[in-house]
This record gives sequence, C-alpha cells and structure tokens, in this order.
Amino acid sequence: MNLKMLKDTLIITALKSIPDLKRQPLMIFLIGLISSLPLYFIVVFGGQISYGLIGAMVSTVSFIGMSAAIQDVTWDRYVKIREMIIAMPVHPLSYALGIALAPLMLSLPSLFFFGAVATMLGALTISSLLWATLALILCWATVSSIGFLISTYLQKSSPYTINSISNILGIALGFIPPVYYPEEMLGSFSWISAIFPTSNTASLIRVYSGSLSLPLEMVIARWVILIITTAVFAAITAAKAKWRES
Amino acid sequence: MEAVKSIDLVKVYHSKENVEALKNVNLSINKGELYTLLGPNGAGKTTFLRIVSTQLLLTKGEAYVLGYDVTMQPEEVRKHIAVVPQDVATYGNFTPWEYCYYFSLLRGIPKRDVKEKAENALKAVELWDLRNRPCATLSGGEKRRAIIASVLSSDADVLMLDEPTSGLDAVARRNVWSVLRDMVEQGKTIVLTTHIMEEAEIVSDRLAIIHKGIVIAQGAPDQIKGLAKEKFRVVVEGNLKSLGLSENDNHTVKFGSKHIIYVKNEDEAIDLVGKALKKGLRAETAPLTLEDVFVKLVGGETD
Repeated sequence: MNLKMLKDTLIITALKSIPDLKRQPLMIFLIGLISSLPLYFIVVFGGQISYGLIGAMVSTVSFIGMSAAIQDVTWDRYVKIREMIIAMPVHPLSYALGIALAPLMLSLPSLFFFGAVATMLGALTISSLLWATLALILCWATVSSIGFLISTYLQKSSPYTINSISNILGIALGFIPPVYYPEEMLGSFSWISAIFPTSNTASLIRVYSGSLSLPLEMVIARWVILIITTAVFAAITAAKAKWRES
Repeated sequence: MEAVKSIDLVKVYHSKENVEALKNVNLSINKGELYTLLGPNGAGKTTFLRIVSTQLLLTKGEAYVLGYDVTMQPEEVRKHIAVVPQDVATYGNFTPWEYCYYFSLLRGIPKRDVKEKAENALKAVELWDLRNRPCATLSGGEKRRAIIASVLSSDADVLMLDEPTSGLDAVARRNVWSVLRDMVEQGKTIVLTTHIMEEAEIVSDRLAIIHKGIVIAQGAPDQIKGLAKEKFRVVVEGNLKSLGLSENDNHTVKFGSKHIIYVKNEDEAIDLVGKALKKGLRAETAPLTLEDVFVKLVGGETD
C-alpha cells in the first residue's frame, strides 16, 4: 500500500463516518447498546459480567465488520456512489478498507467504554490489552472479509434483503458461539469456540486476561486459526470481487 | 487526438440469453465539445458511457479516452474523467459541500484548492446557500445538483453524465445546461445522455442516435435533422378527412384530436395550413425538430 492508497483510505473512512457522526451522534450509543444488551441478562441471571464485557467488545467489532462489508457496500451500489468512485483514481483496496474502517471509528467509543469497565472489574489486565487489541483487529478483519465475500455474491439482491442477512449473520456470530459465555460451558464441544472468529477471539482475550487456561500449543493454534481464517477469506474475496463489471 | 473514441465496440451481456447491447459502435468525440448520446430506453447509451468510464468491460473492439485504452489503462483514464451515473441517488446524511469536498480530495485535487473548487461548483449549480444542508432535507432536483456539483468541482478533462437533468425542473435544467456549456467553453469535453431532445438540440455541438446498440446517425444537430425526407411539420386540430388526409398515413402522427403531418418543404406546409384554416380547423407549422427526426429514425424511416 502506497501513500496515495493510504490517503484515499482515510478520505473514504472520513466520508463514510464524519457525516453520520455529525448528523446522527446517537449512532455511537446505539452501536454500544446492541452489544451490551446481553449484559443485562447476564447480570439478571447471575452470570459473570466479566465474560459479558469481553463478549460485548468482540460482538461490537463483529457486528460492525459484517454490517460495513455487507450493508455499506450494498447501499453504495444502490445510490451509485460506488460507480462514481470506480471512475476515480482510487484503488479498490482503499475503498474496501475505508468502508470497513468507517463504522469501526464509530464503534471506538463503545470499545473504549467496554474495555475500561472490563479493566476496572479485572476482566482485562493492562498487560493483556495489547493482545486483546490484536485479537479484536483480526476478528474485525475476518468478519469484514466474510462480509465482503457475501456481498460479492449478493450483488443482485435488494438492500433490504441484504440488511436482514447482515443482521442475522452479525447476531449469529456474536451471540450464538461462546462469546458472552465461557467456552467451558460447551463441555466436550468447547473446540467449537475455535471455529468461529468471534468466540476464538473472546477465548484468546480471556486467556491473556487469566480467566481461561489453555495449553501454550492450543493458544498458538487458536492464533493460527484466526490468522488463516482472515487470510483465506480475504484472498477469496480479492479473487472473486470485481471492481469493474464484466 | 479525440477525447473519446470507440472502434467497432461490442458489448454482450452474458446471461440466460446473450444480449448484444452494443454492435460495432464507432464514435469519435472531439476535445472541447459537448456530445450527446440519444436513443430510446435500452438503446445502449448507458452501456457505452459505462465502458468508456472504465466501469464495465467491453466484449470486443477498442475504446480510448484521451488516447488511453479503457481496457488496458483504466488507471490513466480515471485520472481524467468524472462521472454522474444514471439514476444516481444521494446519502441523506451527506451535504452538498461534503460531496464536493471529499470527492475532490479523492480525485487527487490538493487540499488548498479543494475549497475554492467546491465553492465555485456549488455556486454554479445554485446550491451555495444550501451547501450545509443534509441531502435528506433537499428536493430531488437539489440532490441531483449536489451530485453534478461534485463532478464540476473535479477538475476532470472529460465529464460523462448519464441523464444529468432527469428529474430537474425547467429552471434547474437550464442552469445545469448553462453550467455545462460554460465548462465546454473552458475546454472541457462533455459526453452525456438525455431524453430531452429540445435541449439536446440547443446545447450539443454534435450528437449520436443509438438504437438497439447501433449508431444510426451522428453529426451536428442540423446535419441529423437533414437526414429526414420531410423538413416541416404541420399541426392540425380536428378531422383530417376534410383535408383529404388519412390518420393512418405514414407521414401523420395522431395525439388525441391533434395531428402532426410531416411535409417536404415550407410551401407544402403553408399550403396545408391554408387549407386547414379554410375548413375551420386550427393549424400551425414549424420546421422539423430533432425529436421529429429522432422518432422517424428509430422508427426506421429515413432516406
């Protein structure tokens, strides 16, 4: 990525976040609210809030990644802003990254909030923050890649259908696997946690914050799975996505 | 060197049935002219614009913008063009200013120049006072002008506009045409499509009529009008039988109680008007319009 591509990425990020932020500031609260809803039930039913806070951070980046890659791309196609950008000297990677980064910027306040509360409650340690950030970035990249891949196959669907698909996938990835609850609850099926980028990320964060104990080789395997999943989906998307229609 | 050139351009959309949208299209658009593509819906105008604006790959043939091959050198082409797609919509949260500002930055215009260019473009389309209003609160015409302003502020050498004035009221349309003509005077090349024949006739330096993927006529508006056998139209209101004419005649078009009769010359037109008036019918005559010729050409009736 050269300087021009980086600059274009930042311009698209600004274009896709600043107007929304200026005119719909409540969006920031909404993003955090969706991810924090399960916390209410965790508290009411006597679950561990520390698990829930890490889950909220993971599901925030997951929901945001999926929604950006599927919904934003589709709406860009619908309003034809994408056609205008294709005809500009802008690299497709800058466009994809800008689109994916914009909602991530909007979710930063929620992430900081969840992270701060989790640290205060001891669910995260200062030393684990770096690993947590790295895992969250990889989770966002994987889910965004999955979203971009889905959107390349759903080019003819209406934005409303795609909106629903994106929400269903976002909820499924964020709430069904052990993201808000410990993977040990799955017993002998706890390995399922490694399959989903969301639960894998949540488990890795718990490992570094000391609430989950896994052998070192298992931890390394989890990182490898996360990185490979990201790379595979990004590669398939790059191969399948077409900047120029044929 | 031409601004836009196509040589035997073919586009086939591959689906269940292969649709040949462009069939050996040869067009040559000079630098500094306003060139209009006319044609019925589905004629291939948008396909042509999308190919030369590097959004769509061609199937066969060649296409160039300012000498750059649109297939092999899309990055070079994109440095010199700006596009308004057909049926473009706006994001409700964006303001006209943001459209101009961010799009100009993406086109690589230095930040120090962006504000001035955005201001000039917004003033040209008379949106300066509304520049900070979210598009959700603007009328359809104002939204369209915001998009046009974003293209005008681009500094691009070739502007490609697909039905830029669709949905605009008459006053707004005239403003846009006026701005586009000013751009041409400044040396820009404009390629556009429109369905508004009367305006195409006035603003275009040259135009092409595309029908079913084939260029059936191209040249200056007067040259195109010269292609028809008839040179005048007579509009008669009332029963044509009293004039000894039939409604089913090839040279007659019926609009309710009114009829347009195409005649070869002015004498014939004046004669027909005189006859109609004597019979107590309302009648008037005028030279053939581009729309008359267009309808005749796409209907297949030409010399």
